Amino acid sequence: MSFFGFDSTLPRDRGHNTRAPGFSQAADPFAGPRPEDDDDALDFEDTYDGLGNQLDEMDDVFNDDTFGDDAGPVTKKPVGKDFDFFGQTAKVSDAINEEQLRFSRQAPSSRGTPTASTFPQPLPKPARTGYERYKEPDYVPDMEVDASLWGVAPKRPAQAPTVGSPVNPVIPAGGRKMMSLEEVEASMRAQAKKPAQPQQPIQQQQSAPQQYTQPPQQRYHDYQPQHQHQQFSQPQQLPFQASGPPREEPRPAHAGQPHQPVQIMQRSQPTPTQPIAPTAPSQPTQILQNPNRYSAEQHRSAPAVQHPVQHPGHQSRPSGSRHIITHPQQLANLSDEERAAFLMEDAKRAKRNHKIFLLSKDNGLMTPQDKNFITRIQLQQLVTATGNPNEHGSDPSLSEDFYYQVHNQIRGGPRQHPGQPLSNFAQTYLFQTGGRHAGMRRQARGGDNHMQRMEQQVQRAVEAAKNKPKNKQLVIEGSLGKISFSNAKTPKPLLNIKRSDSAADAQRPSSGVRDRKVHQGGVSGSDRKTVLTDIENVYSTLMQLEDHERLMPPPLDNDDVNPELAGFHIDWREKEEKLNRKLWRDLKVHEPIGATTTHPFIAFLSFSKGKKCIPRVFRHITQEQRTTILTIIVIHLDHLDVVRQGLLQPGETQLNSATRENIELFSLAVTHTLFGYLNEVGLDIVTGLLGLILNINIDVIARTRIGVSMLTMLLSRAELIKQAGSNEREWDQWVGIYNAFFDALEPTLPNIFPGTVNTGEDVYVWQFLAAIGIGASPEQQQRLVMAVKDRVMETVAHAKTLPTAMSSQRLANVNLFMRSIGLDVELLA
Amino acid sequence: MADVDDGAAAPVSEPLDLVRLCLDEVVFVKLRGDRELKGRLHAYDSHCNLVLGDVEETVYVVEEDEDEDGDETVKTIHKKSEMLFVRGQ
Repeated sequence: MSFFGFDSTLPRDRGHNTRAPGFSQAADPFAGPRPEDDDDALDFEDTYDGLGNQLDEMDDVFNDDTFGDDAGPVTKKPVGKDFDFFGQTAKVSDAINEEQLRFSRQAPSSRGTPTASTFPQPLPKPARTGYERYKEPDYVPDMEVDASLWGVAPKRPAQAPTVGSPVNPVIPAGGRKMMSLEEVEASMRAQAKKPAQPQQPIQQQQSAPQQYTQPPQQRYHDYQPQHQHQQFSQPQQLPFQASGPPREEPRPAHAGQPHQPVQIMQRSQPTPTQPIAPTAPSQPTQILQNPNRYSAEQHRSAPAVQHPVQHPGHQSRPSGSRHIITHPQQLANLSDEERAAFLMEDAKRAKRNHKIFLLSKDNGLMTPQDKNFITRIQLQQLVTATGNPNEHGSDPSLSEDFYYQVHNQIRGGPRQHPGQPLSNFAQTYLFQTGGRHAGMRRQARGGDNHMQRMEQQVQRAVEAAKNKPKNKQLVIEGSLGKISFSNAKTPKPLLNIKRSDSAADAQRPSSGVRDRKVHQGGVSGSDRKTVLTDIENVYSTLMQLEDHERLMPPPLDNDDVNPELAGFHIDWREKEEKLNRKLWRDLKVHEPIGATTTHPFIAFLSFSKGKKCIPRVFRHITQEQRTTILTIIVIHLDHLDVVRQGLLQPGETQLNSATRENIELFSLAVTHTLFGYLNEVGLDIVTGLLGLILNINIDVIARTRIGVSMLTMLLSRAELIKQAGSNEREWDQWVGIYNAFFDALEPTLPNIFPGTVNTGEDVYVWQFLAAIGIGASPEQQQRLVMAVKDRVMETVAHAKTLPTAMSSQRLANVNLFMRSIGLDVELLA
Repeated sequence: MADVDDGAAAPVSEPLDLVRLCLDEVVFVKLRGDRELKGRLHAYDSHCNLVLGDVEETVYVVEEDEDEDGDETVKTIHKKSEMLFVRGQ
């Protein structure tokens, strides 16, 4: 209804309205493909030429008729130049849009109202019909041609379907439409070549009311609809007018009233009862029309397409009614159940169609170029957001992103360094799009350009990042200083110390001098710093070794030889040997003996950290090296700080705390380690070691705890070996050495007890005596008892004065020795 | 040969190398605020953060006599800590 009202207001508008739809449709690229267009196009060229000629000639003749009647006020004949095509169209277009919106909202109601329900096909016709009234079908041919060119025709059909769906109930009308379309085509072809003369008058008349001077083409558009109307709808119009709203009247009066005529036509068709109307034919026509419509009225087009098969889908109207519409006869024949089922089915279809309709509402809004443009923007954002292309190489933002890393790990991506992902991403994505482009190239040139530009941009960015030297410092010309950039990862260096090789070489001489000094210090044994340096070296080497230990490749499988793994093992062993040699050097065990007052290694052991590292060192050195270390220690036993300082000075009852601590540490770290090793050596080595001790100051050794425990260690080991059974020759050798040792030790025996009886810290001495006693001959045992008899008696006597616990402890200590020589404290008591 | 190797092994090229030599040794540390520490150096780093064990801390406090006769007396406060962390820099 609104349409009619609108149209009635302005004659011009009406005229424009008729055109307007045509123009808007013409804008649609899809309108062109319509099948009819081709025919029209051919016709148009012919007609057009004729028009031009005729126009010139006809102006004078027809002016009076045309302008005198309708256009008296118009004076727009000169219009040929004045025509404001676009502007008026634009004005109208707003109205049209409003109308359309309104219509779509009122769709359900419109159904009921005949006016609202405009059939897709009929619509274009009515517009034409308006013109038809003015002029005879003669114009029509020309008009048709133009319309096809402009694509007006398609639009109208598009509108028609939407409107038409409601109308559907009047099936016969739809059928007529179908028929009418076919007929239209046929008539258009037939009439295409009709004389241009009739057209001219028509044009004049039209232009007058509209007040525009329209170019021939426009006129054609207008006419075309008219023409169609004439052919198809003229019969329809009559009925329509009769039943139609007031607009009908104005429309006939004015040539251009696109909407009104169309709607009217549609209505008229259904109502009028044009004989044709088989439903089936109507559907095909609609389908044909549908393809023409596109972006402008997608939703409408969609329903149109569906229309033939699924009327209900159109605008979500009750499916039942549509069904009835579509298949009136069928429905009538159906039983109630079938009918109900059918309706249900139809309802479903309607629902689905509605969904599709909703989904497809926005189809085709974007052109391929638009899409490409968007893609380009997104890509650029990705490239910039993922990481500054300039930082592409390092890509710290990614490498520092924990979650990204984890994600990548999980995905197991082939990425090997942080910089890779971005470029990979960009490349793959670009390649993809590129490939797609290749396919689309023919269709979308513009889009191609976008993508190509995009690719080039990214590549350029990457290259630039690669080529860009990383300047960490900025030197401003004329300034004395440098500005260094810093970030969280590389804090600004405050000191710039070069450690080039040349610098190292430069330092060589001095270090060489120092080394010599160090060496001399080692010689003198007094260079504390040198020893400390040695210790630190040992520790760093130790740490390397221990770290290397952790990198040990998995054990080799004997059955399955893996060359790669074997290679790893070889490399690993090489490295280990290298480190071992370094450690050995650092320990300075092989420094010449006797060349210095204190052997470097012994000085090494004089520091607590030197002692502490022995257990760790032993883990990484060979058996031979261990033997060497043990030998060195034994040789220098009397030089060990713990031995030298372990001697109680006359009048002292106790060593100072530092020394005691040292001794404790030594026995824990060094003695314990050596003991562990000694348990694995043979008698020959034990014999050799004891022989070495013979050459040093036994008196000193025997009076210190460390010395005594070392001796105990050797003696007890020998005894163990003897009990386990040993070869005769070695044992004889050992006995020889032992005898010599006993002889050397005997003078010291009375003095080996530390402090007085009261201190009670003589356990180790009793152990030592026991070790001696076990290995001693009866004669030696007697000498032994003679030597320590006093101490034994003192201790036993002292034990009696002590509480039971302590007393038994003391006696047990003494008993260690007594039992070793076949006696017992009990005997003394 | 040995000389060269030794030289390359651990050149004392920076002060901290000397500090390194004092690891596990008893060191004497002077601090701001008239404080002195004496303890076994367990660890240090490039900022000279220190971890000391068995530390004996001495704080010197200057007190002016309230008589205003100008005499100043220096008091020392001794503290002992089993383990002490000294912030460097």
